[in-house]
Amino acid sequence: MTQNLEKLPKGSFERITVDANQAERISKPSMSFWQDAWLRLRKNKGAIFSIILFTLIVIMSFVGPMISPYEPNAQTITHANLPPKIPVIENLGILDGHGNLGGKDVDIYDMKNVEVNYWFGTDGLGRDMFSRLWKGTQVSLFIAFVAAAIDMLIGVIYGGVSGYFGGRIDDFMQRIVEILTGIPNLVVVILFILIMDPGIVAIIIALTITGWTGMSRVVRGQVLKYKSQEFVLASRTLGASDSRIIWKHLMPNVLGIVIINTMFTIPSAIFFEAFLSFIGLGLQAPDASLGTLINDGYKLLQFQPHILAFPAILLSLIMISFNLIGDGLRDALDPKMKD
Amino acid sequence: MKNSKLFWLMSLVLVLSAFLAACGGGSEEGSETPEKEKEDGTSTEAPAGEPDAVQELNLMEGAEIPSMDSAIAEDSVAFNILNNVNEGLFRLNQENVAEPALAEGEPEISEDGLTYTFKLRDANWSNGTPVTAQDFVFSWQRAIDPATGSPYGPYMMAGTIKNATAISEGKMDKAELGIEATDEKTLVVTLERPVPYFMSLMAFGTFYPQNEAFVTEKGDAYASNSDNLLSNGPFVLTNWDGTGLKWSMEKNAEYWDAETVQLEKINVDVVKEPGTAVNLYTSGEKDRAGLSGEYALQYADNEEVIKELEPTLFYLKFNQERNGEKTPLANENIRRAISLAFNKQDLTDVVLANGSLPANYLVPTEFTFDESGADFREVNGDMNEFNAEEAKKFWATGLEELGETEVTLELLGGDSELAKKMDEYLKSQLEENLEGLTVNLKAVPFNVRLELDEAQDYDIQNSGWGPDYQDPMTFIDLFVTGSSHNLMSYSNPEFDKLIEQAKGELAQDLAGRWDAMAKAEKILIEDDAAIAPIYQRGVMSLQKPYVQGIVSHPFGGDYSYKWAFVSGKE
Amino acid sequence: MARYIGKRLIYMVITLALIATFTFFLMKILPGSPIASASKLSPEQRAVVEARYGLNEPLPVQYFDYMFGLLKGDLGISINQFKGANVTDLILSRMGPSAQIGFQGMILGTIIGVLLGMVAALRQNTWIDYSSTLIAIIGISIPSFVFATLLQYWLGVKLEWFPVALWKDGFMSSVLPSIALAMFPLATAARFIRTEMIEVLSSDYITLAKAKGSSGFEVAFKHAFRNALIPLVTVLGPMAVGILTGSLVVEQVFAIPGIGEQFVKSIMVNDFSIIMGTTIFFSVFLIVVILIVDILYGIIDPRIRLSGGKN
Repeated sequence: MTQNLEKLPKGSFERITVDANQAERISKPSMSFWQDAWLRLRKNKGAIFSIILFTLIVIMSFVGPMISPYEPNAQTITHANLPPKIPVIENLGILDGHGNLGGKDVDIYDMKNVEVNYWFGTDGLGRDMFSRLWKGTQVSLFIAFVAAAIDMLIGVIYGGVSGYFGGRIDDFMQRIVEILTGIPNLVVVILFILIMDPGIVAIIIALTITGWTGMSRVVRGQVLKYKSQEFVLASRTLGASDSRIIWKHLMPNVLGIVIINTMFTIPSAIFFEAFLSFIGLGLQAPDASLGTLINDGYKLLQFQPHILAFPAILLSLIMISFNLIGDGLRDALDPKMKD
Repeated sequence: MKNSKLFWLMSLVLVLSAFLAACGGGSEEGSETPEKEKEDGTSTEAPAGEPDAVQELNLMEGAEIPSMDSAIAEDSVAFNILNNVNEGLFRLNQENVAEPALAEGEPEISEDGLTYTFKLRDANWSNGTPVTAQDFVFSWQRAIDPATGSPYGPYMMAGTIKNATAISEGKMDKAELGIEATDEKTLVVTLERPVPYFMSLMAFGTFYPQNEAFVTEKGDAYASNSDNLLSNGPFVLTNWDGTGLKWSMEKNAEYWDAETVQLEKINVDVVKEPGTAVNLYTSGEKDRAGLSGEYALQYADNEEVIKELEPTLFYLKFNQERNGEKTPLANENIRRAISLAFNKQDLTDVVLANGSLPANYLVPTEFTFDESGADFREVNGDMNEFNAEEAKKFWATGLEELGETEVTLELLGGDSELAKKMDEYLKSQLEENLEGLTVNLKAVPFNVRLELDEAQDYDIQNSGWGPDYQDPMTFIDLFVTGSSHNLMSYSNPEFDKLIEQAKGELAQDLAGRWDAMAKAEKILIEDDAAIAPIYQRGVMSLQKPYVQGIVSHPFGGDYSYKWAFVSGKE
Repeated sequence: MARYIGKRLIYMVITLALIATFTFFLMKILPGSPIASASKLSPEQRAVVEARYGLNEPLPVQYFDYMFGLLKGDLGISINQFKGANVTDLILSRMGPSAQIGFQGMILGTIIGVLLGMVAALRQNTWIDYSSTLIAIIGISIPSFVFATLLQYWLGVKLEWFPVALWKDGFMSSVLPSIALAMFPLATAARFIRTEMIEVLSSDYITLAKAKGSSGFEVAFKHAFRNALIPLVTVLGPMAVGILTGSLVVEQVFAIPGIGEQFVKSIMVNDFSIIMGTTIFFSVFLIVVILIVDILYGIIDPRIRLSGGKN
């Protein structure tokens, strides 16, 4: 070893000395919290796939009703109860407009003299399931997003105030939350829908009336945790105002968990809407949502599975993607926490 | 717990695969080929075959029993059971004609048609005590007494039984009611006016007797469960705890006609989910299942399907005055346009698909017959049939008269699956055929609808009516001025006069009365288009081939099991 | 501890009183008359019926009557659904089946959920992990009425393994409804345990145990599992709520004489004594569960000081 060292050309080496000025230099580019999170999220294949899938669903929910030649609520009674038929795919022997009638497999489109195609079939009133499905998705997502946004808004403000000011205010505010969580949300939702005129607004209000308590608890916990930490104390010592501390120091730290929580509120709102349809308190006819479509469809399960299948699959896809995105975000934003 | 884990995993896999498989196409369930279509009235055909040794039926109901007290009962479940465990002076037989039951033969009727004298046959309550005329006096007085709060008592008796109205308003003592027991077995009933259909009334639950000693002894607990009940009919109610989801009816050994009754036991379970009911039927656990909504369509071709036409009519009520202001519906042409503008045939064939008939009339078909057996429907036939072209003309005229180009109306309806679907269809039909019309749907639970009806707070209401007795009057007098069911500010003196005549001076003149009612119906629908009939309800059920002799009735209790039996189950 | 529980109990009573008040006035603004046959009754009769249920009294009197009855455990009498029946008795008589399927569903779901979550955590980011996550999510993605109907059709009607519906074959009748109810706790437990286990597995003492030569199995069960299981107690509350919501649907589909099934009907017929009684009953149940969870958590994890701030 030592001999070889001497054979090395001297000119290839340069002598460096320890430079005190360079010691603190960071050679890796500095990354904000969000860039860091994005890097982590990008590695999560499930989450990325879900984001793409969900984006597609959202796009389809707007485009779908437009590319279908039929209005979501237009009835063609002579075309009622048609099975799905999609050009090209029909040659594979599936979605070819065949159905079971009196024990025989027949082309229902031929039998009823229907010249046009309904990609996802029709329902009992002859409405195009394809455009209804996407329209319904749009409505369900709208309900879920608005409900989640309201939950977030109230929850963050309430939890933030309660946690930040603490003491008596906190005590009082927490008692109220305790009472609200004591009433089963199911009961509250049902009562509110009964009192108000049924419809989208009623469902959203009913969902949010107790929904925000979960968020407020989480936010309060976070605020409690951070407000006594050194960087906040330092800022306070330097004379920062309450609002500066809240917006500049606490909020960025709480934001991650708020986003994660919202990711889990959205699917549960969609789900609750479906449940309301089952007990007859869902959306008013003739509007559709995933919930009402599934509720109409499950009764026809044995004979016209397509009416249930498409909305059920779509609902599952939305739920799965939201859960995976939520999981991914949690891993990315909050690698050490789980609450 | 290991096993359940295994089970669970297996089930999950199965369910998921089943679910996916189901998406691919129909399952084999609908594979029965339609051999013969059973028409309405199958159940009343002469039953064939020898009865089995085991005479037990397994049936279902869609709701619990709210009350078994015949004075309090107001729902179909209770009336159905009452019809099978109790009996009044008359009972509807297999041909749906009221025939003497507890009454021994036809009553003596006075010249003026106001006094009926019934002789009672020897019959016992299920505890062995005899049924007496006093039992009738007691129960009738109890039903009309405002303190009882009976919904049907005053409703059925007021204007019919002497002094009933005054008693129900608390202005007279209940002892003044026109019913009297002259001895143990003789009952004298005095009427307010002659009532040609009085016998069929006597088959209705509210007019059943109650055993005074028993009711008084039980007090508040009376009829609160099957131990606190007495029967005098073909069956005895058993195993009912008052709030549960199951009960049984067992043959009543004390029943006077017990030898006719072949069934030993009927087991009833409450199943509210229609799909579950069908599954229980398919698995052989139950012998009969109603097919509601979507299920009717799916099983329409099944050979075990029974179709029955009910005398229940659905119609649109046009409210002419809302919150003190005239609605567009006060215009006759607007009303007529709407009543002509929806395709009823498509509605019954495709949307309802349960054996319902399109209705172009108010008094249902196959419900009331004159002396010669001719259907009341034959007099007027169809009125205001669907005609989009005509509708458009009337609509244009109507809009012109109103000076409007666009009209928005609210359609108030029920919140059941079927009601919602029907209203969606009506909305689409009306908006398509009548340019400038916007229909807003409002689906509410039944009691909310009643409240809105009472406040006359709606534009158009999708409403239904089933008969309380076997006479066209039960439908027609709903719409006289100021009636508690009118509630849409419809008033036509000519119509009112015809009804009054039919109830009064023509009461004994059957042909003239018939004619007056027919004329009234024509005025209501054809001349005034005050309501728009939609359809007459049909019901479909699945019934096992071995079930014989269940009789369905147009009013009162829905079914009689007195003549039913099981044949060929083993 | 005793002081803490005492304090919580007092809060509980106050909470309940407020909930009862809240629901009482909410019920009063519900549309529709509580008397089903209102339109058939004459004004005189209506007065009699209203008097029978105390509906003629001024609102404050009705309210105090109700609250006073509540103190004695009297939830009033049913107006429509079971005319004259005592609501307390009704709820008590319907409690058995609900409790049984709820409890079985909870146990079944939790056990399978914990197993799934554990396997997923031990094999993180493998197909085992993904498929167990997928099962858990599908469990909460398919609405319970669809899932219950599928179970009924395939395992009941087609395969005839279990009764299709009704409550008459004892344990066998409870199998399908329990499975249907198990989905929610299963999903919750699986996801919770997975996260919990992953965290525990990366902690120092596990690394130490591994370094000392413990087998993978030993590490997983002896160390990680036990520590991951404890916090599961905290999700008992949400699980109980899930079971409650599920019971409405599942009981109706399987025609089980439980509280949930009866609650749906009472909403439909506007029987407000039953709606209120059931609401209060559900609230008591929920509050007690939350209290038990808090107490249990304090016992299991002594680091949490009950009297102090609990975030």
